[in-house]
Amino acid sequence: MTAAQLLVVATPLAPLLLLAAGLPRATRRHLPALLWLAPLPGLAAALLAGGAPPLVLDPDRLRFTLALDAPAALLLGACALLWSAAGIHARAYLGTGPGAVRFAAWWLVTQSGSLGVFVAGDLIGFYLAFALVSLPAYGLIVHDGTPAARRAAAVTLLLAVLGEVALLLGFVLLADAVPGGSIAIADAVAALRGGKAPDLAIALLIAGFGLKAGLLPLHVWLPLAHPAAPMPASAVLSGAIVKAGIIGLLRVLPLDGSEAGWGAALAAIGFATAFWGVGCGITQRNPKTVLAYSTVSQMGLLAAALGLGMAAGEPGAALAIAFAALHHVLAKGALFLAVGVIAGLGGWRAMLLVLLPALVLALGFGGAPLTGGALAKAATKPLFGESLAATLAALSAAGSTLLMLHFTRRLAAGRGAGGVAPGLLLPWLLLAVAAMVLPWVLYPRLGLGDPLALPMPEALWPVLLGAALFAALRRWGARLPAVPEGDLLHPAERVLRATGGWGAGIARIEAALRVWPVAGMALLLLLLAVGATLTIGAR
Amino acid sequence: MQAMPAGSLVVLAVMLPVAAATLAPLLGARGAQRAIVLGLLPASLAVAAAIAAAVLRTGAAIPVHVGGWAPPLGIAFGADGLSAAFLLTGAVVMGATAIFAGRTGLGAAAGTGRAPLAFWTLLPALWAGVNLAFVANDLFSVFIALELLTFGAIPLVCLDGSRETLAAALRYLMFALLGSVLWLLGVALLHGTYGVLDLVLLRGAVRPDAATILAAVLMTVGLLAKAAVFPLHLWLPAAHAGAPAAVSAVLSALVVKAAFFLLVRLWFGTLPALLTPALAGLLAALGAAAILVGGVMALRQARLKLLVAYSTVAQLGYLLLMWPLVLATGPEGAGAWLGGVLQAVSHALAKAAMFLAAGLIAAALGDDRVAALGPAGRAVPLSVLAFALAGLSLMGIPPSGGFTAKWLLLGAAIETGQWWWALVVVGGGLLTGGYLYRVLSSAIGGEGEATAAVPLAPQAVALGLAVLSVGLGMLPLYSFGLVQVGRPGMAP
Repeated sequence: MTAAQLLVVATPLAPLLLLAAGLPRATRRHLPALLWLAPLPGLAAALLAGGAPPLVLDPDRLRFTLALDAPAALLLGACALLWSAAGIHARAYLGTGPGAVRFAAWWLVTQSGSLGVFVAGDLIGFYLAFALVSLPAYGLIVHDGTPAARRAAAVTLLLAVLGEVALLLGFVLLADAVPGGSIAIADAVAALRGGKAPDLAIALLIAGFGLKAGLLPLHVWLPLAHPAAPMPASAVLSGAIVKAGIIGLLRVLPLDGSEAGWGAALAAIGFATAFWGVGCGITQRNPKTVLAYSTVSQMGLLAAALGLGMAAGEPGAALAIAFAALHHVLAKGALFLAVGVIAGLGGWRAMLLVLLPALVLALGFGGAPLTGGALAKAATKPLFGESLAATLAALSAAGSTLLMLHFTRRLAAGRGAGGVAPGLLLPWLLLAVAAMVLPWVLYPRLGLGDPLALPMPEALWPVLLGAALFAALRRWGARLPAVPEGDLLHPAERVLRATGGWGAGIARIEAALRVWPVAGMALLLLLLAVGATLTIGAR
Repeated sequence: MQAMPAGSLVVLAVMLPVAAATLAPLLGARGAQRAIVLGLLPASLAVAAAIAAAVLRTGAAIPVHVGGWAPPLGIAFGADGLSAAFLLTGAVVMGATAIFAGRTGLGAAAGTGRAPLAFWTLLPALWAGVNLAFVANDLFSVFIALELLTFGAIPLVCLDGSRETLAAALRYLMFALLGSVLWLLGVALLHGTYGVLDLVLLRGAVRPDAATILAAVLMTVGLLAKAAVFPLHLWLPAAHAGAPAAVSAVLSALVVKAAFFLLVRLWFGTLPALLTPALAGLLAALGAAAILVGGVMALRQARLKLLVAYSTVAQLGYLLLMWPLVLATGPEGAGAWLGGVLQAVSHALAKAAMFLAAGLIAAALGDDRVAALGPAGRAVPLSVLAFALAGLSLMGIPPSGGFTAKWLLLGAAIETGQWWWALVVVGGGLLTGGYLYRVLSSAIGGEGEATAAVPLAPQAVALGLAVLSVGLGMLPLYSFGLVQVGRPGMAP
């Protein structure tokens, strides 16, 4: 095992080791203060181990694989940075009580999965990491214990479990397609078309990963969970955890142009999600809910880019999407922390330390020139081509501008007083600077082009359109109907409640069977049935 | 183990607990407890491990003819890979339960008078019964094993002598005796037709005539009643939920599993010539119904132990999915076989952990209503953790044994084009998640105070079983070759 491979192995293990070290009573109280350390091996792996030779166990048969390719390294680095910064924030936000220790435990387990999905290269390892990032997030969301938090956590968990089921079936179909029993994802994806029901497999995988990434109509957990969770948890939920869905889609979908039909379908879902998120988001008043809908919208746009790249067989699609996702990890994570910071600041300090950087980041989501977001947009631009898709992408950029200006306004409304701890302020500034600077550093290094040579006016009109729409929203926005957090969830819940009588019906059948004459009759029938199956179907 | 031939080990696996059960009344409750925990437990573990090692080394089953009575009418024992895996599981669960019961007693109502002595006598009797079921190779020894299990289990169910547990035990007795009668009728028919009782000889002799088919029907339904397969599961919830925690653990983990084991032996070992796709489909359909009904009923229970008991009904349903999957994959497909066995073993460990944890939680809170579990997370965190880990294994969350089992069953279902069984597997997982959520969301972070302190040691036992159940999935799939020795379709 080389040093680079060791870093890859340490990436998902470090949070768990820290948790194990923090479990004994003597060391327990130090755990919250050390949260920021756990993602550092992952960060180091992203910087140093990208493209290292994969580590394969049982290479002849099952092929358990740990690997880190360039797109995954980008996402891993960004997510590790966010987890670390949010860890500092969490320490200041939660204090040191027993609740903080419990939160730290959920935090570290979720983090292990969140970082693990980027290095897992086989179906079972990936499924394990994905389960770790999905299910323990319950503990992060429910932390405050309010009825809203409990409901949001329950809905999130239910949807996460449904997503796990879809993925499990999809993965079994993938594994079945591979001749020779290998469970390496790359082998499985290559053999996908030759397997049983390949279209069902793709549909299940898109549903399972799309749910995590917040694609319509399975996005409903995001706008519920993000406002209900504690501030640092919202940041990692929106920044890092939804990216498990993105890396999943990148891993399992064939990007070589062989599944053009599914690419088009994914693009359609993506665009619908992008506009749906903006539409619901602008009616929200809680800045965290606005951010959640912005995440829905942004992930929709990424999915659309992925679908178009998949349809066209664009070779650079994975890297471009990972680059755009990297910007989203940092900027969205930062903005969630900003919501936590501004409650303690007022006057010029609020303006300078929070609102101004937040405005720059916000405009970045619309692709305003010179921001990190502009580069994210530029990287994915070739995927959208020149036609209808390009127009839709530009319109969604205008929508993002509108939504994020709305967010900045709601953020400003949250100004408070009383000062803010440096442990809250520093992570926010760190992430904000990273979101502005890192794309500029990475863009030329990844071979995406010269960032200074990008055409500016072309990127400007969606921003101006968005600003104009924002002015209209300020003027007439009060007339918009308020969409409840979780929009489509509410009608779905009513339908579910209507089917709740089934359980009672089954209980009645069970009670009837318990009566002795009925039980005797059941036994007799069973004897006859077994006899019938043995004689009628005899070979 | 050069000094001791493998055959004697197999006999020893049965005779050690028989000796313990015989000596227990002489030693008294305290002495019997010591003898079992300090003597029987390590000895049985060593014997089971030695049998497993011998089977793995030779790659063949170990045949034994007790007392030198050769077939056709002798007493035949034998241990193949499947026996060895179940013997090991049995030793672990029985041993853990014995340690647990030694540390906690049997609860307030059952902890006084003659109940402890009855427990420490009947526990090794049950142990002998399950081990005999795992190694018996002739129909009459199987009958003895079934009777040992019945008469060991029923007094244990009503150990506290209350009216409800007596009613539950009576219902259990009715079903168990019915099962025994059906089995015995089948044995008589087979013996009358073929003049042999040996399972291996029978395999070569069976013809699909009316008497054989009738015998097969009677024996199958008899075992279904004993394995509490839907719709004959009605005795299980009350019996398993009413018994003291240590008893529930053994009953749910091993006693019903012994009947399942015999069903596997009967159909894949002795009567494969008679097995039709229609029967395999019927058994799996019963399993699917059990998964649905057991899961929904578990979701609706107000009391924790009843919830766990209904979960057993549901989880037993998965085992029956083996029949169509193994039948369709044929000799070369090991996945379904391994999946079924792994499900049985991991459920045994997980369910024992769950019942022990549920008992501890109820002891700490003085209440086992699901809605009142609030203080459990703080009062007995290790027990709640054990319950959660065991539940995750039942639900099939990786890397647990339950996950690997489901992965293999799903793979076999997809491979053979029987996708409807795949839907059953994942649907059952959802129901499991549902009732697990009910318990855990109530137990974590709720209000209220515990009423009694619970020592650490029994909590550690429950946790240990749960961790084993989770760790079972870590065994690399391909190295789990033990249970393939003696698998149908493989050369003996």
